[in-house]
Amino acid sequence: MGGQACVLYGAAEFSRDTDPPRRTLHASSENLELLRGALRHLQGRRIALPPFDQSFLQKGHAIHFRSYHPDASRIRIDVMSVMRGVDDFEELWQRRTRFALPTGEIVDLLSVPDLVRTKKTQRDKDWPMIRRLLEADYVSDDNPSNDKVRFWLMESRTPRMLVELAQRYRAEAESLIPSRPLLASACRGDESSVEADLEEEQKLEREADRRYWKPLFEELEELRRRGYGSEEDV
Amino acid sequence: MIASHHVAGYIVTMEASWIIEDEWLEWYRLTPEERWRENQKLWLFYLSSGGSLDTEPDSQSPYDALYSPGESVADGGTGVRAVRRGRIQP
Repeated sequence: MGGQACVLYGAAEFSRDTDPPRRTLHASSENLELLRGALRHLQGRRIALPPFDQSFLQKGHAIHFRSYHPDASRIRIDVMSVMRGVDDFEELWQRRTRFALPTGEIVDLLSVPDLVRTKKTQRDKDWPMIRRLLEADYVSDDNPSNDKVRFWLMESRTPRMLVELAQRYRAEAESLIPSRPLLASACRGDESSVEADLEEEQKLEREADRRYWKPLFEELEELRRRGYGSEEDV
Repeated sequence: MIASHHVAGYIVTMEASWIIEDEWLEWYRLTPEERWRENQKLWLFYLSSGGSLDTEPDSQSPYDALYSPGESVADGGTGVRAVRRGRIQP
């Protein structure tokens, strides 16, 4: 989730992950019909279970399509309306970041904190992105708000950055220790302990992500057993 | 390496030595618009070199096992990567 957002926020230089098409969607009937029209324009085809149905989106499934339009050939389009650990679409939309591209187009992106939450997955490749999202945010913000400082302290995954933050914003760091115990090590300047604690945090999040997906995949297996097709035109 | 930060109304100089690679610091300091322009150059290069728009497989993705046979390609890489190895050109 968020490959192109990671580029604009500074955490990646290039991504061909299908972020513009991997939409976070408010799964109303009206929106789904609009999406269906757009997918038809892209000559889209569903390429996996579950079927394209509002009920599956609301349970947390992703619906997977591929474009066969000559101008967007083989781009995969994944649609979700619910993500683990992430607020509802309306709240994400309220907090979105709006960029005006040099071409004049307007792009709405998940806010950095929301993007970070979507990256706490079971995949190796998402964790360096979190680290760099925080680093880029830190380097580019000359005048951080208290909320921003708390966000850095709660989410940074760079041991030396955490130690630096804890020294610079000692009171905030100490107040957040109950929520993020590794800040105690950061306040002591104990970089090795911070690193070990970060690994443990990551391990717990990855396990939580696996637990989240398990019943969803069991449901997909059940659909497969019942003979639901994996592919269909939109 | 040094980064300037404003703290409580003062500009202070801080060390940002936890950023190991100079290239990343350089990238972090670009504006989103500048990153977009650089990214467009990379896309032009990628597509002119025959790069595919197909999504790369990801064996750790919860979706990876779902696709129909033949849906995945075989290189096994990740979708987000650094293709620029040199410094940003003006």
